[in-house]
Amino acid sequence: MQTQYRQAIDQHRQRIFSFAHYSLRARQDAEDVTQEVFIKLWQHWQKIDHSKLGAWLMRVTHNAVIDHVRKNRSIQKHVDDYADVSDQASSEEHGKTIDEQAFKQLLMAAIQSLDDPFRSIVIMRDIQGLSYAEIQKILDISESQVKVYLHRSRRKLRENPQLRQLFENYGGASSNTVAESTSDIQQARSD
Amino acid sequence: MATNSDSQCYFIQLQIDSFIDDDLSAPQRETFTSHIHQCKACANEFHYAQTVQDAILDLPLIDCEENVLEPIHRLANGPAIAPETTSSSIWSQLGAMLSSTPVFARYALPLAAVAVVAITVFPVLTEQSLNVPMVAEHSAGEQVEEFSPEDIAKALQDLNLAIDYLNQVSQRTEVMIGDRFLITPLQDSLNASFERASSRRQDRLQDDPI
Repeated sequence: MQTQYRQAIDQHRQRIFSFAHYSLRARQDAEDVTQEVFIKLWQHWQKIDHSKLGAWLMRVTHNAVIDHVRKNRSIQKHVDDYADVSDQASSEEHGKTIDEQAFKQLLMAAIQSLDDPFRSIVIMRDIQGLSYAEIQKILDISESQVKVYLHRSRRKLRENPQLRQLFENYGGASSNTVAESTSDIQQARSD
Repeated sequence: MATNSDSQCYFIQLQIDSFIDDDLSAPQRETFTSHIHQCKACANEFHYAQTVQDAILDLPLIDCEENVLEPIHRLANGPAIAPETTSSSIWSQLGAMLSSTPVFARYALPLAAVAVVAITVFPVLTEQSLNVPMVAEHSAGEQVEEFSPEDIAKALQDLNLAIDYLNQVSQRTEVMIGDRFLITPLQDSLNASFERASSRRQDRLQDDPI
């Protein structure tokens, strides 16, 4: 049992920690959640359906993250961090090339500030690459709801004023780059 | 007032995520791309969406440091504690103990417990119904009725009988459960009752003006 438990930890630790990290941002909080999840795995080891271990772990992680957010009320702190990063990014001159690092920092803060389930779905689908079916099992909602929530999450991210401001500060898009983008996407699909 | 162009832009922009996820049909995709090439506002919106999406997809999976998992590994390598019992209550432990006993003992124990309760409570209820109350709290000046020595001897006899019976069951199951959950509380309760009765008798004798 101990060997199997260790294997389960090795197999799922990255996914669990990533989810907690992108949800909570503070590394210490993500570490606490990861420990909590694996302790629960140990406590419930004999009751779990091991064919659905990944979904069970993600569900427990999701619940632990929600509890953590409620307990610590840390969202406000990260919103403040987010505003700081935004101000810094806007005030610096980076030419016309978007500052990827600043953009990603803002994006991570924006993801963290989303409400659940929007936050969880965008992390599971776009960062962790889970399938719609896996997300459906974890969150216990229908596949079509997952898609609707995902598109709404992305729209909410795009509506974030600081993120949009940073994008527009660097010149937005020209029709050429858009044409390249659409043709790149179609080319990638045909490949 | 919204023009045709505005409403078309609105629908095109609603389809951006579906286009990125390749969820559009071929004709929808054709309409989408031709509109994007003609409309600068939608082109800008699409480029922004694509930039955000690329940045999200580019966010790495992060792993925790090894020291975070050390306490977890220690837990797994520690003394063999059954995982389910780490946070269980006394009742779940009792349930587990009963489930590990033979079938006859599993039913004998609850039956014995019921028998003990019936043997001890039934005479009391009967005597109460005959207006022979147990010693209890009484207000000053109220007349107090007490058990006679014969009643107490009979109750003790019944209790000893119940204890003997329960000990027999316990010995058979190698678990002295009766002492722990039933006999000790009953003995304590009865002893307390006797003590209260004797202290009241002494108090009344001291207060007696004669």
